[in-house]
Amino acid sequence: MRSLALLPLLLGFGVSAQAATDASQWLNRLTQAEQQQSYQGTFVYERSGLFSTHDIWHRVQAGKVSERMLQLDGPVQEMVRVDGKATCVSSAPASGLDQRADASRPTLDPLRLMSWYDLAVAGESRVAGRPTVTIDLTPKDPHRYGFSLSLDKQTGLALKTLLLDDQGRMLERLQFTRFQPAVPEQAQLAASKACRPVQAATSVTTGDAPVNWRSDWLPPGFELLGSSLGRDEPSQSVVTRQVYGDGLARFSVFFEPLAGATAADTRLQLGPTVAVSRRVDTPKGKVMVTVVGEIPVGTAERIALSMRLQDAQAGQ
Amino acid sequence: MSREALQESLSAVMDNEADELELRRVISALDDADVRATWSRYQLARAVMHKELLDPRLDLSAAVSAAIADEVAPAKAGRGPWRSLGRLAVAASVTVAVLAGVRLYNQDEMSGAELAQQQPVQQQSPSMPQVKGPAVLAGYTTESTEAPRAAAPGQSSWNDQRVPGYLRQHAQDAAAKGSESALPYARAASLEDR
Repeated sequence: MRSLALLPLLLGFGVSAQAATDASQWLNRLTQAEQQQSYQGTFVYERSGLFSTHDIWHRVQAGKVSERMLQLDGPVQEMVRVDGKATCVSSAPASGLDQRADASRPTLDPLRLMSWYDLAVAGESRVAGRPTVTIDLTPKDPHRYGFSLSLDKQTGLALKTLLLDDQGRMLERLQFTRFQPAVPEQAQLAASKACRPVQAATSVTTGDAPVNWRSDWLPPGFELLGSSLGRDEPSQSVVTRQVYGDGLARFSVFFEPLAGATAADTRLQLGPTVAVSRRVDTPKGKVMVTVVGEIPVGTAERIALSMRLQDAQAGQ
Repeated sequence: MSREALQESLSAVMDNEADELELRRVISALDDADVRATWSRYQLARAVMHKELLDPRLDLSAAVSAAIADEVAPAKAGRGPWRSLGRLAVAASVTVAVLAGVRLYNQDEMSGAELAQQQPVQQQSPSMPQVKGPAVLAGYTTESTEAPRAAAPGQSSWNDQRVPGYLRQHAQDAAAKGSESALPYARAASLEDR
């Protein structure tokens, strides 16, 4: 019995040595595939009690990536993206989409990710009837969530993505149920009438002192990707926004003067996304600092409490 | 040997997931009354979940009934205590033979709730260790996380007005730029569903 138990171990040794197709190679392949591989399919998205199904069409033609996503159940949600920029969305953007906030195209950089996540090939499986290899990205500290990606062996594309907390609990799932590496037709990529063209956010005139908030503490590996000033339509208040990322996870920080309004410190958790609001006293009055992102709540809390107005005298 | 390790082994044996070492561990510990009690408690919890029923003549003390009330509900939500233990399987027949003291009877017409009624809960045996099932949740937490916490009524109007907008802006912005996958889009879409 003992020797029998060892048998698969011995066999596995040779296989794993040969299959040194290591995790970072797979991630490189994934990034490449997204820029080179056309496909179409159906996927499900699930997070804390919410479940939805979507169609996706993704076409790469002469180096140009066009894609369209459409929610199949419930209210119509649609988005068309060309070269990584939304050209139309069916739902009214919260306050316009600021295309400048972070121009850097997010790509998976295994070398960078390796500093903050342990990358490993976790095994093989099957998703949407296709053989996959599972890559686990396990965070090295408690300030970010882990990912488990199932990549299509043939194309390298992610057919299943799980976000996991430090207890291994699943926070969200995106999983294909049907996948074809076939080029979609033009008609399938065309936006429906419900999809409204995206307009840039109403930006405050430039020349304003940019964002003069800085953080005393950030989780290691997170860098400022961009910042912007925007005027919120209904309230007309000027909202400062910063976006941070570690190469995989992202969070936004919003700064809005309270102007005498009563507001509370709150925490809100929606599946993978947390929103923590903290009032911060400045010489110009109270400012609400809200951290929104796919990071653990404790981390978001600490970031919110670490935000400081950089130079109260020089700013404005 | 630690109590936790033993309880884990018990649980593994019950689920045919024990390895040889664990089986030995359990066999050698069977003389211990506490271990037997834990075993019957596990059996009962499992039986209720599987809509099987143990013969109540065996070891069903009042504490066992109390344990039903205390443990079955959370155990159900966690999909059972055995999920977390990936172990080598031992043939079912071996397990049954070893644990010959416990016999299973199928009484399909009786549900766990009825059993609980038959055995009124009496809290007079606090000596029973309250084992937290070693359940590792594989799915979502059952508690609702959709509601904002720590917001005093009347104070939260600003937050109610502004925070959803921030959430959407964060999600939509990521979706609008994210060329890496459909995930940011799906997140943004899920916010609109609410």
